[in-house]
Amino acid sequence: MKKLLLVSLLVTAAALQAQTTVAPKTKAHVEFLASDRLEGREAGTPSERIAGDYIAAQLARAGAKPLPGHADMFVPFEFTAGSRDGGTRMNGSREGIQALSFSDDAEVSGAVVFAGYGLVVPESQNFGYDSYATLDVKDKIVLVLRYFPEDADQQARAVLARYADLRYKAQAARQRGAKALLVVTGPRSPNAGTLVPMTFDTAIAGSGIPAASITGEVANTLFASSPKPLRDIQQELDSGNPHVAGFELPGVTVNLATSVVRVKQTGRNVIAYLPATTPVAGVEKPWVVIGAHYDHLGRGDKGNSLASKEEVGGIHHGADDNASGTSAVLAMAQSLSTQPRRRNVVLALWSAEEIGLVGSNAFVTAPPVPIDQLAAYFNFDMVGRMQDNKLIVQATGTSPVWTRLLERANVAAGFDLVIQPDPYQPTDVASFNLASVPSLAFTTGAHVDYHKPSDTADKINYEDLDRIVDMAVSLARATEDTDPPPQFTKVDQPTSRGSLAGVRVTTGTIPDYATEVKGLLLSGVTGGGPAEQAGLMKGDVIVEIAGQSIANIYDYTYALELLKVDQPVKVIYMRAGQQRETQLTPGARR
Amino acid sequence: MPRWPLVFPLLLTVVTAQPAVQPQERDLLSRVRRLTVEGRRAGEGYWSPDGQRIVFQSEREPGNPFYQIYALDFSSGETTRISPGYGKTTCSFFRPGTDQILFASTHHDPRSRTFQQEELDFRASGKERRYSWDYDPEFEIYAYSEKGKSYTRLTNARGYDAEGSYSPDGQWIAFSSMRDAYNRALSPAEQKQLDVDPSFFAEIYIMRADGTGQRRLTNVNGYDGGPFFSPDGTRIVWRRFDESGLIANVWTMKLDGTDQRQVTDFGSMSWAPYIHPSGQYLLFASNKLGFENFEVFMVDVAGLKEPVRVTYADGFDGLPVPSPDGRRLAWTSTRGGGSAGQLYLADWNHEAALKILKAAPERKK
Repeated sequence: MKKLLLVSLLVTAAALQAQTTVAPKTKAHVEFLASDRLEGREAGTPSERIAGDYIAAQLARAGAKPLPGHADMFVPFEFTAGSRDGGTRMNGSREGIQALSFSDDAEVSGAVVFAGYGLVVPESQNFGYDSYATLDVKDKIVLVLRYFPEDADQQARAVLARYADLRYKAQAARQRGAKALLVVTGPRSPNAGTLVPMTFDTAIAGSGIPAASITGEVANTLFASSPKPLRDIQQELDSGNPHVAGFELPGVTVNLATSVVRVKQTGRNVIAYLPATTPVAGVEKPWVVIGAHYDHLGRGDKGNSLASKEEVGGIHHGADDNASGTSAVLAMAQSLSTQPRRRNVVLALWSAEEIGLVGSNAFVTAPPVPIDQLAAYFNFDMVGRMQDNKLIVQATGTSPVWTRLLERANVAAGFDLVIQPDPYQPTDVASFNLASVPSLAFTTGAHVDYHKPSDTADKINYEDLDRIVDMAVSLARATEDTDPPPQFTKVDQPTSRGSLAGVRVTTGTIPDYATEVKGLLLSGVTGGGPAEQAGLMKGDVIVEIAGQSIANIYDYTYALELLKVDQPVKVIYMRAGQQRETQLTPGARR
Repeated sequence: MPRWPLVFPLLLTVVTAQPAVQPQERDLLSRVRRLTVEGRRAGEGYWSPDGQRIVFQSEREPGNPFYQIYALDFSSGETTRISPGYGKTTCSFFRPGTDQILFASTHHDPRSRTFQQEELDFRASGKERRYSWDYDPEFEIYAYSEKGKSYTRLTNARGYDAEGSYSPDGQWIAFSSMRDAYNRALSPAEQKQLDVDPSFFAEIYIMRADGTGQRRLTNVNGYDGGPFFSPDGTRIVWRRFDESGLIANVWTMKLDGTDQRQVTDFGSMSWAPYIHPSGQYLLFASNKLGFENFEVFMVDVAGLKEPVRVTYADGFDGLPVPSPDGRRLAWTSTRGGGSAGQLYLADWNHEAALKILKAAPERKK
């Protein structure tokens, strides 16, 4: 017994020691920021302020100071937190009408011209589809169908889908002199007759034209005196035949008064810096910025939540997105503050990233230090869920020095780096790239809990998060000391990407972002979704869908535009080196 | 992140663990990391005898579209160029017990910079050609002294001399040469063959570390190349292509060229063999599973068992080289994306490898 006891004592001692040596630098920060008390850190809310106060206190503890000329670390900015209808009326009635979120506020009257789907395909596409070809809509009110022709062949749909975004349709109407745009969801389309939701839109101002959606019933009253009902008219248009023309609705004039209330709020970036430890006189571009956004989705009621039915309205904890990146920056501050540096290091925690990179945009638009004095920007967004040792580094194309510095730093760090030169990423690095600052963005990629209440602190991989911090510190130090500073290279924006406008189906596939393969590698499938029902599973690589070959994620997006709800398509995929085939029946996107 | 740029948020609903590589790979390889990041491509990493450095080829300097040789130091993270910086180079190797590193190079060719510019211009033109190794007859083997910073030319025969490696005692070099196509009168058929594919004439040679005593060990049509010594220095492992240049197999032989034994028989391109320091098995690459899908396999040195697959990733995985302590594996892979390879490193589970090999079935005859 004694011997056994001794062994167990030793084990306990070893375990204790292990615990003290590996206590993560990042864990306490993540646990606080992702706690229920912080209520999802939505920009402009009291919980964002609590998070900001915590961050400022931690930065101060690390020895960071407010920027020169600033009394504290808070740099406020105003943003549009959302929009709602402010009482839009047609002919005095609020029934069956609602402004589109990008609408101007105005009151107009005029005859109504029905312009089909309101689609204009630019001539450069050599396609020949212009809903306005035979119409004069100057000073008229234009009524169009939502989406694009339902029965057009796949090739035509592929083109038309790209120009079906309502903002694009509004622009087309405005350019032709229309007074206003009305939109109806046609009786033959999904969501038939329903109003277009006022999507969360952070635009500060309107799009230069009053725009509203009307219900099917209201549309029917407008078509009351026309020779055919809307359903028949839509059916003709749905063939995709470009020669089916619109027409002025006989004897119909309306008075339209649109009103959109844009809710203005104030967010706070938390910005501090570690002054250089030697005089910066003579140092070219004496600033390095390290940043992460600290805001998240609150309770997810602004349209960007992916919560399941059961979770709707719950606190979106945002442990990975982006308490992880915030904690990484705080831990870096702690580490960098103890070491000599030739450049000033700015530590910037952005707010309002989730609604469109607003905080970082505010910084580059009104930079508190001259933007051309920034040697580099490092971004950390979703760095807490590392798997298989894979660390994705984006925006490496912004400077020729990055690959060399990364290679060197990674010899000690030992990550399976995935290098993505593209800086046009959906995170704050995009703001700095557009300001011509050499930048890098670190992420461990998306996962099952992305934008859901279940993105919680207990799921964070703290050990690897700390490894990312260590590597980032060594990269930051190398950059602090680099002379001359990294040179900026402009990366061309990819043009051939699909857009969401035309995608109305869901396939229930979850792409793997970290691994590049020929085809679309699935990191999972939605439970009960079309992909799962089709027998697809994680690890499968989709190489063809509906006759479209899939070489990458963009091909896939493009192909999705062509799918129709409830219409089965053939999917060819690779599993364990074998080519297989299945039928997938897309479902309707909410 | 606010949202993924495309449709992903709508699709992202439920994920289980992400399989970045197929899980089978984890039985043998763990903590996979990418060693090279800089430049367009890198590969063929060979360990220093103390395991502290790796010497490899990479295209990473503006102005030269061909490989140059670099050594990466694990303790400092620094990478230094070993080759002169101009011309074409390939196939480097540390000489045990010395400060020397060998590699093949064309830098003595006065046309080197012209060729570099021509290749850059060709690329700029946007034209593409299928990848093919350049068997420039100017390739000669050099030994570089790191202390003296000087190059000593070891071969002088016209025809590609490259793919050199040292014996464990550092006294011998095995290499591949196409000199047979240039040192005699060729028949018209042979001449035609040379124009189409000079590698047909490649044979394995051996020489002393100072370049003396050059001796031919193989005499079979088709590309014999990539020779490495066994850890005990008694045998050479290499790959032999058939005359078509499409099928290759791994062979071993004694240092005098006798006792040639075939180890693999996949009927595909099996090449780049390297014997594990334990001497019990060797690793090689093969496209058995698809013409453009090379994977690393392992097999007992006698080839009695069926080879076992090691890597599980799309594209190219090849040129496997175990560390001197047998605990790590360096190899060249395209798993990071794109078509150009980079150098990868992983921890190697030697015990698991032995167990799996033991359980492997007898080789099918």
